[in-house]
Amino acid sequence: MTEHIVLQNVYKTFSKKNHSETVALEDVSLSIKRGEFISLLGPSGCGKSTLLNIIAGLEKETSGQVLINGSPITGPGNDRIVVFQESGLFPWMTVLENVMYGLLIKKVPKEEAKMRAMNWIQKVHLGKFADRSPHELSGGMKQRVAIARALVMDPEILLMDEPFAALDEQTRMVLHQELETLWRETGKTVIFVTHNIREAVVLSDRIVLMKTRPGGIKNIFSVQAARPRNSSDSILNYLETRILSELEQEMEKVLKEELGSDYALKKDRLHIDPHNNLGSDI
Amino acid sequence: MKKTSVYSFLLFIFLLVIWEVTSKSYSELVLPAPSVIVLTLVDGLLSGYFTQHIQRTAAEVILGLFFGGVAGFTVGVLMGEVAFLRKLLFPYIIASQAVPKLALAPLFILWFGFGMTSKVVITALVCFFPLLENTVTAIQLSDIQKQELFKMLGATRLQTLIHLKIPSGMLGILAGLRVSVVLAIVGAVVGEFIGGSEGLGALIIATQAMMDTALMFATLILLTIFGMILYLTVSWLEKMWMKRLKKEI
Repeated sequence: MTEHIVLQNVYKTFSKKNHSETVALEDVSLSIKRGEFISLLGPSGCGKSTLLNIIAGLEKETSGQVLINGSPITGPGNDRIVVFQESGLFPWMTVLENVMYGLLIKKVPKEEAKMRAMNWIQKVHLGKFADRSPHELSGGMKQRVAIARALVMDPEILLMDEPFAALDEQTRMVLHQELETLWRETGKTVIFVTHNIREAVVLSDRIVLMKTRPGGIKNIFSVQAARPRNSSDSILNYLETRILSELEQEMEKVLKEELGSDYALKKDRLHIDPHNNLGSDI
Repeated sequence: MKKTSVYSFLLFIFLLVIWEVTSKSYSELVLPAPSVIVLTLVDGLLSGYFTQHIQRTAAEVILGLFFGGVAGFTVGVLMGEVAFLRKLLFPYIIASQAVPKLALAPLFILWFGFGMTSKVVITALVCFFPLLENTVTAIQLSDIQKQELFKMLGATRLQTLIHLKIPSGMLGILAGLRVSVVLAIVGAVVGEFIGGSEGLGALIIATQAMMDTALMFATLILLTIFGMILYLTVSWLEKMWMKRLKKEI
């Protein structure tokens, strides 16, 4: 495996109206191997989505360097496709039209585009729904379409920005398995942004735990559990507890800032949340 | 739902009856009875008296709507897409909004004569603005994530405009068209009021001179029906578009 994406001392600052600056990312260095499944995990405000947008080429780093296959990013391109939380399907197009649209823009002949799109629609098990409108699909089905729409472009890198955050737990578990299968079949490099510890642990090869204020990398965990992943694997459970305990400090920091210095986090009660979901609004 | 339309119809009948009864105690010059108006209307339609006037007004409205609509949509899309144009032209747009456009009608008659051209220009002008304003806003409102996706797919600016910004703004654009359609009739009729011998607006002025109030009411009914047809057509277009998006109204 070779280095696919390399981030070197990446900084991102946003200037505010009163000329002060917010540091969204501070000194982020990371290298991601070809075919690796990486999660960016952390509470909101840790800059994980910003980092994803920089890799997608939608935002520009303030300083530092981001290399893909050894050359710096110049802008968005269809070697890197993002799957968003809200699937962002085009409601005026059918499922098939949604999936083939990117190919048509690339001037792929219509018949071929249709065939390739159908192939991916079948791979995400929506063969029967190719002619439906997005509104007729459930949330989970919409995300399947979004995944098919990204993969049909045959990108080298699949960027996923909390793609399953809006789904219910059952649907999410099914989609985890499917995503793992698709990833293993295609060998894409996946960067997966999430605030759900369980999700990160179940899916990833490595988990990049991020910190807030300033945003940056706090720690990196390797998940050395066998694939396909089994959610009852004790390695996964152990890792989950470890990550949660590291995150407690972060959560306390955020809560103190938001609620005032007299707030004391009751650490022993954190485990009540069955999904270890950090939430997006703590 | 069914029940309300029955009530609505009953209310209509009730109002007609009141009108009919009240009109007995007034001169026909002031308030002609509905029965008289309907007779005049049917008579005028059958004898072909209305035909040329209807055709004239319809032509003015449709031509005005077409030119004003195409111009409003095109300029709206350009202003929505090109920030420079938007900033350059917006002061003028706001200023022109404040001008009562129908007050310009005499000027247009001066410029374009008493024929059809002046009415088409007035109609086009009043249709232009609502569509322009709605298009400018609608074009800018498309979802950021979808725009980013188009960027990643490598879509050109034109492709993004045609396949993303215009379809996602379509409801707003159609709402503008709905306003334009109603104003189009006002524009044409007012144009005919000021100068013209043909068309339903000119006919209203003529009936006033002839003191034929029943004929005036009949003309008003024709205008109302014409307006309703246009309005319902746009509503139908909106419904078709909604159906395509499959959103519940």
